[in-house]
Amino acid sequence: MSAKAQLRITGGTIHDPANGVDGEVRDICIEDGRIVQTLPEGAPTLDVRGMVVMPGGVDIHSHLASSSCNHARRLLPEEHAVDPASAPGLDQSAGPPRSGAGGTVPTTFTTGYRYAGLGYTTVFEAAVAPAMARHSHAELDDTPCVDGGFFVLMGNDEYLLRQVAAGERERARDYAAWLLGSTGGYAIKIVNPGGIEAWKSGQRNLNGLDDVLAGRGITPRAILETLADAANALKLPHPVHIHCNNLGIPGNAAVTLATMQALAGRRAHFTHLQFHAYGGPGWSSGARPLIEYVNSHTELSVDVGQVMFGPATTVTADGPVEYLLHKSSGRKWVNIDIELETGCGIVPLLYKDKAAVTALQWAIGLELFLLSADPWRVVLSTDHPNGGSFLSYPKLIQLLMDRGARDQMLKQVNPKLLAGSTLADGLAREYTLNEIAVVTRAGPARLLGLPHKGHLGPGADADVTVYVRNPDIAAMFATPRYVVKGGALMVEEGQLRRAPAGRRLHVRPGYDDAVLSDLRHHFDAYSTISFANYPVQGITDEPIAV
Amino acid sequence: MTGTSRVEHVTCLGCGCGCDDLSVTVSEGRITEVAPTCPVGRAWFGDGSIPLEIQRSGQPASLDQAVAEAAELLLEARGRMLVYIGPDLTSQAQRQAVALADLLAATVDSATSPTAAGGLLAAQQRGRAGATLGEVRNRADVLLFWGTDPAPRYPRFMARYVDPAGTHVPEGRKGRTLIGVGVGSDSAPKGVDLTLTIDPSEEITALSLMRASVQGHAREQRSPGLIQAIAIANRLAKARYAVLVHDAEPGDEPRNPLRVEALIALTQALNGPTRAAMISLRAGGNRVGAETVLTWQTGYPFSVDYSRGHPHYDPAERGTERLGSDRFRAALVVGSPALDASVAGTLARMSTVAIGPRASQAPFAPRVTIDTGVAGIHEGGTAYRADEVPLQLRPPLPGPRSATEVLRTLVGAVRAGLGQSRS
Repeated sequence: MSAKAQLRITGGTIHDPANGVDGEVRDICIEDGRIVQTLPEGAPTLDVRGMVVMPGGVDIHSHLASSSCNHARRLLPEEHAVDPASAPGLDQSAGPPRSGAGGTVPTTFTTGYRYAGLGYTTVFEAAVAPAMARHSHAELDDTPCVDGGFFVLMGNDEYLLRQVAAGERERARDYAAWLLGSTGGYAIKIVNPGGIEAWKSGQRNLNGLDDVLAGRGITPRAILETLADAANALKLPHPVHIHCNNLGIPGNAAVTLATMQALAGRRAHFTHLQFHAYGGPGWSSGARPLIEYVNSHTELSVDVGQVMFGPATTVTADGPVEYLLHKSSGRKWVNIDIELETGCGIVPLLYKDKAAVTALQWAIGLELFLLSADPWRVVLSTDHPNGGSFLSYPKLIQLLMDRGARDQMLKQVNPKLLAGSTLADGLAREYTLNEIAVVTRAGPARLLGLPHKGHLGPGADADVTVYVRNPDIAAMFATPRYVVKGGALMVEEGQLRRAPAGRRLHVRPGYDDAVLSDLRHHFDAYSTISFANYPVQGITDEPIAV
Repeated sequence: MTGTSRVEHVTCLGCGCGCDDLSVTVSEGRITEVAPTCPVGRAWFGDGSIPLEIQRSGQPASLDQAVAEAAELLLEARGRMLVYIGPDLTSQAQRQAVALADLLAATVDSATSPTAAGGLLAAQQRGRAGATLGEVRNRADVLLFWGTDPAPRYPRFMARYVDPAGTHVPEGRKGRTLIGVGVGSDSAPKGVDLTLTIDPSEEITALSLMRASVQGHAREQRSPGLIQAIAIANRLAKARYAVLVHDAEPGDEPRNPLRVEALIALTQALNGPTRAAMISLRAGGNRVGAETVLTWQTGYPFSVDYSRGHPHYDPAERGTERLGSDRFRAALVVGSPALDASVAGTLARMSTVAIGPRASQAPFAPRVTIDTGVAGIHEGGTAYRADEVPLQLRPPLPGPRSATEVLRTLVGAVRAGLGQSRS
């Protein structure tokens, strides 16, 4: 079916929470790649009687297309060797159908096909060093089937730090706007504010919100406030996307809560909250106070960053945490310091259910989900591939929807550190299908500020996923029967048949040109890339209006 | 084309330094001046003249004819062919070349496998501690040059990354301590603050002892070379940000293959007491781009075999080494090949298609040749610096036809031959 064609998806049970539709049998009408109110009689139909219909999945936080991902791919030939991926037999595709390799960090084409096979149609790469932006665009160009964009790393960048130190918050905002437009990015990502610069400059890390970056008088608090205000002043569709200080460290829930409080009243998204929800001083759950704070502060949102048992690869700009992980795990380790901007660290991991800390991490993620009062603001992620592959989402959905399966798993895990965990005390909640539709599509789309995504109302992009009911929830969500993206029927009868190119989602906010001459001086003084050559050229999709 | 013009911010791919600050003067359609001056860069650009031919069996042909014949020839050899990716291509062209290899179930080889493969394999075993080149300039207060003098092959390395002031090294060169270790005939740079020459037979022992010393396991040594090596390790451990520089490209004489892994291990260990990064100097063209593209498309940086219907890594055996066997019936050579005489001789006995800069001058009489422009001289796009930073290319000259476009057309012809439909 071409994008111009019509399609009536008929007889399915619709879960479209953004439009208040919870399990009603209705037709979904598609024309020119969009959802429309009606279609004429005789339009082609797809009979999905008895099946469950949702908007296409929206992944708010994944690592799939970046220089860091590519370092991780290169580090893992042993994973690729045991998960080869033949080219799918496609009826239509934008480029040639491509073979590839899987593992925790699959090749680009395989990533696109596997997301499509899972019913996802929109994915955001969560961490791109600005200097590496053209690399991410190239990888996204080679990631079919999903619309996507990326978040641009800020908060350890030299120019920004200088503006924070000088109290030049308006200049910082103009710079952030310029950087988003120059890189073709979508949102501001903060990773370990100030802590990566501390790692690179020999201070190793910043552990508290008011720790001072040596010799510069800057604190994580000032960085966070500056960038959160910038994002909100620029009216970006997605607010600052924050990876807090102290990821993975016992007791870090305190700095996470302090960060939320520091940004009180400001829109902000806290990512992979599970990795920042540890009580202290030893290992324990710190989930409850955090999620209760989130529940009562509607300006905040989070994605959970669930840990799933099995292989994973930790890929992050947070260099210092990867060094610690390398030392504690003994696994191979990549560190790349990226001039004037950020860092990159990679360590492959295996999350074992018999490992006490891993079991605690697993439990904390579930606590956050099950204690959440507002699924629109507490959405699903595994921080792919950090907490586990995106391919584990169906199993995660099963843990949320099926208490029996969850309790069964709970019996298998190492209970040593679970004392005091509300999960161990018994959380009876089971997510409904509508709540799953919220945390996997409607919620992320709303948090990302994408009015055409995550719902099935007229005008929405025709991204639709159809599941066959199955008491085995993991099986149901692992193999959608049909997936439509932009009106193209990608998955038919559970098989990938079409692989359209994805659309690039990016912003180009305005700024005061006065920042440019200052930036040029900065580049001339310290950068090894010419200022004139820095902005990414040739993004053909129009920017999302700001 | 008449008159003189100047193109600014041109990126040079003469070596892996990735200087993107060149000013190139063009007069009467020829490059007449490249500033700042650098012998490697000047040689890379030349005057920018290239052949513009399209040939089929040695006779002039149209592009359509040549592409059709190439597609037919390659499809006949599907499953038993080699795709060789030369270094003078944009990453956009490399992406098309790898797509062809996938469609044609070919083995892909590149300039990497006979040169820098050892370092990539070592990093796959251990990981690595690296940095982009700007971190050298902005942070390095102690630099160790291990068996390499950047001057002859990477002439502007010092001027761009060591001499200037950086954010954390405001005095520039004066604020840095430079240490040169010569290993046999691999000499150290001139003008460094401290030098040591060690015998190749002691090289790996020295690096192992240096690492042990950094980790606090020093043992008393008797060899003067090893004593000095340990003293250097201690100096590195006291640096604020140490940078270890080595040349990942082959030298005049064979090197100890364990060198790179030992340097990686030492650099990683230095991140206990301080911060440290290893810099791998790389030769010219977009060879790092080929590794990067291959990695995101196949999972592996070089030596990939698609004949099983998916990428298979075969790092121990170079594709060109297997040319002599009867495994391949045809070869697609994309970009100027850095091939030795025996490989060229073997290619001369096979059905070959050559597409890229100076294809018509290939030393193996291809059945089909399509000349294109050179990345960064005639073709825009992206190329990767030695440190994997992607750079924009601003070609100072117009090209006859771009390698990317020719390859994309060939992909379409091969897809049509395979009966694939496009959306």
